Amino acid sequence: MNSFADRFAITGPIAELRKAQANVEDDEFSDAAWGSEAGFGSLAKGIPTFTVPNVPDPSSFLRLHTDDHADPNCRIKIQHGTTTLAFRFQGGVIVAVDSRATAGSYVASGTVKKVIEINPYLLGTMAGGAADCQFWETYLGMHCRLHELRNRERISVSAASKYLSNLVYSYKGMGLSMGTMICGWDKTGPAVFYVDSDGTRLKGDLFSVGSGSTFAYGVLDQGYRWDLSDEEAQELGRRSIYAAGHRDAFSGNTCNLYHVKEDGWRFIGNYDLSQMHYEGPSGTGYGYDIRVEGRSSADAPPATAA
Amino acid sequence: MASADGGAYSYSLTVFSPSGKLVQIEHALAAVSQGTTSLGIKASNGIVIATEKKSPSILVDDSMLEKVAVVCPNIGIVYSGMGPDFRVLITKARKSAQAYWKMYGEYPPTRVLTQEVANVMQQATQSGGVRPYGVSLLVAGWDNHRGPTLYQVDPSGSFWAWKASAIGKNMVNAKTFLEKRYNDDISLEDAIHTALLTLKEGFEGQMTEKTIEIGVVTVPTPAELEAGHSGAATGRPKPTFRKLTEEEIRDYLAL
Amino acid sequence: MSIMEYNGGSVIAMVGKDCVAIASDLRLGNQALGISSNFQKIFPVTDRIYLGLPGLATDVTTLRELFRYRVNMYTIKEERDIEPETFAHLVSSTLYERRFGPFFIEPVMAGMSKTPSGGYKPFIAATDLIGCLNFAKDFVVAGTASSKLYGVAEGLWEPDLEPEDLFETISQTMLNAVDRDAYSGWGVIVHVMTKDKVITRTLKGRMD
Repeated sequence: MNSFADRFAITGPIAELRKAQANVEDDEFSDAAWGSEAGFGSLAKGIPTFTVPNVPDPSSFLRLHTDDHADPNCRIKIQHGTTTLAFRFQGGVIVAVDSRATAGSYVASGTVKKVIEINPYLLGTMAGGAADCQFWETYLGMHCRLHELRNRERISVSAASKYLSNLVYSYKGMGLSMGTMICGWDKTGPAVFYVDSDGTRLKGDLFSVGSGSTFAYGVLDQGYRWDLSDEEAQELGRRSIYAAGHRDAFSGNTCNLYHVKEDGWRFIGNYDLSQMHYEGPSGTGYGYDIRVEGRSSADAPPATAA
Repeated sequence: MASADGGAYSYSLTVFSPSGKLVQIEHALAAVSQGTTSLGIKASNGIVIATEKKSPSILVDDSMLEKVAVVCPNIGIVYSGMGPDFRVLITKARKSAQAYWKMYGEYPPTRVLTQEVANVMQQATQSGGVRPYGVSLLVAGWDNHRGPTLYQVDPSGSFWAWKASAIGKNMVNAKTFLEKRYNDDISLEDAIHTALLTLKEGFEGQMTEKTIEIGVVTVPTPAELEAGHSGAATGRPKPTFRKLTEEEIRDYLAL
Repeated sequence: MSIMEYNGGSVIAMVGKDCVAIASDLRLGNQALGISSNFQKIFPVTDRIYLGLPGLATDVTTLRELFRYRVNMYTIKEERDIEPETFAHLVSSTLYERRFGPFFIEPVMAGMSKTPSGGYKPFIAATDLIGCLNFAKDFVVAGTASSKLYGVAEGLWEPDLEPEDLFETISQTMLNAVDRDAYSGWGVIVHVMTKDKVITRTLKGRMD
């Protein structure tokens, strides 16, 4: 091991990398970081920089220690299990998420906030790397505020999501992991954009992200209409997260529900999924066994005594 | 019809004669009744099995002869009949006991071990190319479930539990003798003396510690059982079957 | 991914004063997907032995049948019920037969064994998937939530619990441990055994 010697060498790959890093620090990131720069001008100086592992190939080094498919015993665990959803409807945008964080099979927390309140009009959801989502969506909030100050108007959901998408794209291959929905209300009305760390950015009415998304989609698809009332829409979001929390081992604990309207987002409530299973919204639980109790042939009602 | 020598049914395969007999088995029993006498007596607190040990010549080192064999710490067997056949059976019995120990972590109950040996002997009456074993056995043992038990196994593979029994040359006389002397609450000490007295009937030559062998089953006391259950000092339960040493036999003979 | 996590599930057994208890979750999963909330993993072997089989579901069924066969043969041959200690050895031997291609099961046993004086004393044991016996005096755990069960049980268990208190202890241990395990849960079943009876209760657990 001559890493000590490498660190102070003037020639060799490590030194080259160090020089490259120094250059990056000088002129920050190239324009590619946000495509056309979208009128942001000299904001490039605001981009944060990161210390990179002092090895020939930093991203494969990182992958070696984070990818739990390659090595289940790796030290850094990325949070994979999640259910998040957001949909657009007549009354605005509904955002609903679960609150479970797992590390392997261990339920590390049941009270995670997976909705990131970017600003009073924008919400971001969290799936994938918790730190990545938290950091970049907060950072996004900062730039949204700068946009407001500079342009005397709020940033559109479209622009905000594109800013994020271009940002994560510039780090492609470096191990960022996020699957997020940027939700809000702008001049165009309610809007939902899906953005992930691969660089994908999609506009749509209805998205669900995470290991429990298939279960959420099942409920969401069959209950979704544009002209849902506010109450119906909130109930659909809640019910979809319940379904995912029930079936998916890596989702659960509680549901956080948000409703975005013209005047910004509002936190509707935090709901215990187990309580929803047994009691539901009206006293009858969502649980299959609760709903069929005493009604199926396998579990017939008790014979009434004559 | 079977003739005196067994006729056509007396060789090779064990097959039924028209009268329903398996003549090979009867021949095996005849071989047993030419063997030296062995007997077993169940007492209230144990069992004794004993046999006469006869060497064909004074030149044979009779300390090497073994007719009472330990199968496992709770079971011993004595035989009358053909020594080599017994040796084979004992080997199989010991293997069976160890296989049982390997599976269940304890030694087999007497009945299970007896059944295993009896099965081996039965198989010899139905398989091609073999002859029945020329021995009868007395199996004495102790187990948690049934306590002390004494079984007799014959060449046919049949077996019964006995309070007292005798096999071999002098079995008829010995059994008559035992019937007269036996009662249900006889102690192990008394049973050993009865065994010696019975052997003495029709004993050929001098009865010494060199010419007889004795094995005893001792029923463990409740205290020993509790200790044995938890592993005792050695971590092993005390054996319930053991052979008497020549010194012990000499002392019994002197009385 | 561990093969134990393919279907998920956990079992625990505890000793009390003249009683034992054994409990399991009721989940059957296909990795992250929950399939059934009524999958039994604990089976009666004799009137005084219960056997828990957490692990790969196909092996749960296979081993259940294999042990039923072997215990029935034993009962007929020996003309008596098998004792818990003997059964534990049978379990161990049966698993070691597959040393180089094991059943993916970590059995847990609980029972009342006869003493020489005619009484009964509590017995628990567990083995790994190739039959290494662990005769514990307090509690044994197995399955995907085993590490969590150890933690909670270490905190809650105490010696000489009466049957009702043992029930409460094992129930709370199980409920709280499986809530920290992604692959266990979806309901809990508890059996408490004394010398003359077994009380079985199904508990409402978190369903997520």
